[in-house]
Amino acid sequence: MKIGVEHYLTVSIILFCLGLLGVIVRRNLLVIYLSLELMLNAANLALVAFSRFNNDLDGQVFVFFVITVAAAEVAVGLALIVALYRKRRTAHVEDLTLMKL
Amino acid sequence: MAQLPDILFYVFAFLTLACGFLVVLNPFSTNPVTSAMFLVLTIGSLAGLFVLLHAFFLAAVQILVYAGAVMVLFLFVIMLLDLPAEERRKVKKAGLVLGLISVGAILTIMLQSLLQSSFSSEAAPTLEGSTIPLGRLLFTQYLLPFEIISVLLLVAMVGVILLSKKDLK
Amino acid sequence: MGYEREAGGRGMSYLELLNLAAPEAIIALAALAVLAADMFALRELELHFRLAISAMISCVGCVAAIGWMLALPEHGNVMGGIFIVDPLGQLVKIGLLVLTLFTILISLESNFTVHAGEYFALVLLATAGMMFLVSTADVLMIFISLELTSLSLYMLTAFDKRDVQSAEAALKYFLFGSMSAAFTLFGLSLLYGLSGSTSLEQIAASIRGPRLDPLLVLALVMTVIGLGFKVAAAPFHLWAPDVYQGAPAPSAAFIASGSKVAGFFVLARVMATGFKGAEGSGAWHGYLPGWVPLLAVLAGLSMVVGNFAALVQTSVRRLLAYSAIAHAGYMLIGVLAYGGSGLASLLYYSLTYGLTTLGAFGVVAVVQQQTGGDRLSDFAGLSRRSPGLAICMMIFILSLAGIPPLAGFVGKFYMFSEVLRPGSPGMGLLWLVVLAIALSAVSLYYYLQVLKQIFVAPSPGAGTWVSVAPVTQQVVLGALALAVLLLGCFPGWLVQRLAGAMAPG
Repeated sequence: MKIGVEHYLTVSIILFCLGLLGVIVRRNLLVIYLSLELMLNAANLALVAFSRFNNDLDGQVFVFFVITVAAAEVAVGLALIVALYRKRRTAHVEDLTLMKL
Repeated sequence: MAQLPDILFYVFAFLTLACGFLVVLNPFSTNPVTSAMFLVLTIGSLAGLFVLLHAFFLAAVQILVYAGAVMVLFLFVIMLLDLPAEERRKVKKAGLVLGLISVGAILTIMLQSLLQSSFSSEAAPTLEGSTIPLGRLLFTQYLLPFEIISVLLLVAMVGVILLSKKDLK
Repeated sequence: MGYEREAGGRGMSYLELLNLAAPEAIIALAALAVLAADMFALRELELHFRLAISAMISCVGCVAAIGWMLALPEHGNVMGGIFIVDPLGQLVKIGLLVLTLFTILISLESNFTVHAGEYFALVLLATAGMMFLVSTADVLMIFISLELTSLSLYMLTAFDKRDVQSAEAALKYFLFGSMSAAFTLFGLSLLYGLSGSTSLEQIAASIRGPRLDPLLVLALVMTVIGLGFKVAAAPFHLWAPDVYQGAPAPSAAFIASGSKVAGFFVLARVMATGFKGAEGSGAWHGYLPGWVPLLAVLAGLSMVVGNFAALVQTSVRRLLAYSAIAHAGYMLIGVLAYGGSGLASLLYYSLTYGLTTLGAFGVVAVVQQQTGGDRLSDFAGLSRRSPGLAICMMIFILSLAGIPPLAGFVGKFYMFSEVLRPGSPGMGLLWLVVLAIALSAVSLYYYLQVLKQIFVAPSPGAGTWVSVAPVTQQVVLGALALAVLLLGCFPGWLVQRLAGAMAPG
């Protein structure tokens, strides 16, 4: 069977759901960030696959931008963790309870 | 008769998903460092998939920026914080089951819609994602987003320095 | 001229691009100027002067950008929708800049940070992101501008480094924000795959027939989830109360006003332009899948959750947050009245709501600085301690509640009548409007609770009120209150401009 865009999309969708699962069930902020990266990477894979099968480079340019944005986002997120850790000595979601949810 | 690229697709796809799973739910360890290392492997296998899709430049960027820069930053912060052992709590059973069920439902819906979709690719792909056409697009059609990205990096830089620097006095 | 050839006929010179994007460039330059001034010249000065000088530079930048747009109205469409300059977009940008101006002015007396330059620079850069956001019809640009805005806002939320609540609120905002970004991105990537283009118009062109492709529905749902997070519509609102409570007051005000206006504009544009042909129907007996029923459900949920949760709040900031969620519900109704003057009614509502909520947060900031808290009881007897402030707060609160003749009432009336106008795509949503009006009545209860504290409750004693509010704050808040009053009494001024900007040609 020829490998088509559907195959890549299937991988991408499963990867996205794995990331979502991590965000939902894991309680360590750092692991949650890692899972968020999985979700972004899943979208990247879909974009590259579409780009290839649509014969159009726009998707690859999109991925280029997404990688940059993701790097900036990770930097910001880690800085937020460090800022919180200085005050609270924790990196767990369950400890974010200063304000009632 | 299966061809080499097809076999490689299955290899890389399996590696991506298996490592992705180990990032999220590693039955042997809840240590963030292990998760981060498996994310590096996931990213590497994704780069393999990119190569199979003829996106050579992006595959290189993926390795350089993601596996190189971003993951090093991650590991650096994980080591810096050096979470004490008792902080590494167990994943809660009830939350895990609920999460698995809801995400499983979402996954089923997404795969269903993919199956039922009439969308497919008939034309044989001819696109090559090498550096020159990408660079050309970046500086013509996508010039403005490119400039905005520089502003975005400025924001990240200012913010990160501000947040992580200790105030004097 | 090589690049013109490369762009395949859609070419334009870099200078032309700079000319079109001049207002945004001015704002970015002003941000750099503030940073540079703070770094080289202001280090040694007292905080008060640093704040004043940085704010002045920022205000000059905003005014210059507004002046540029008023003096040189431009038309242009760069690279097939990547950057669109049209009268409507320019009007919204001017509105955003006015909101930014007021945000800067209410930050003048704040004492939550010593990093004045960075604070104003980030406010300006967030504004630049919002301005790009409202002037594009390309999913790539939408994603990048959204991220630029969001990253700046996360930072602004975390700005109070002495306060643990600020860091915690920022972290929650970041977690929900990044997740929404991932959802948006996945939805947009599916849209790109289905249409082969990143331009919203091309995406709409690839939607055929009433029977929607399941993948398209998936893309729609994911995009709506992502954008729903950004505008704090229920059930994606969980971050909003904590951020509104934990962030420094001016940042919270900015998040509640500017990012709402930009968020709703882009939501309306993505839905009405990108999903044209996939509307469906949300009528009581004529349900058809599409984005109209989806948004109608979100609107109903937001109104119910926001209004009922606000009833039990004791912190005024949380109360304003839940009221913001309820208002997001009302504004989603405005999105459903797309087309024709429906968009004008949405913009009128979101802009006046932005001014109102900015003012309300300004009053909260003053009270918090004086009493050290934002609980309802901290407002007790405000009318006797500071009558001017109390009257301003009354105008803001009554406008939020939708009491005539204030802007909030006119906005609601205008928007609801647009939805029910014969021939409107939102026709059949009578049930939603009825729900909205019923819940507005519920909301009166908690709004009046605030006013009761201010005007009726006895003052807890003179000891807690150190001094009167600073004059600049009083003047700025007075101006905001006056604007809300005038826009309510003479809505035609803004409505005609919006309608005129929307007319083709």
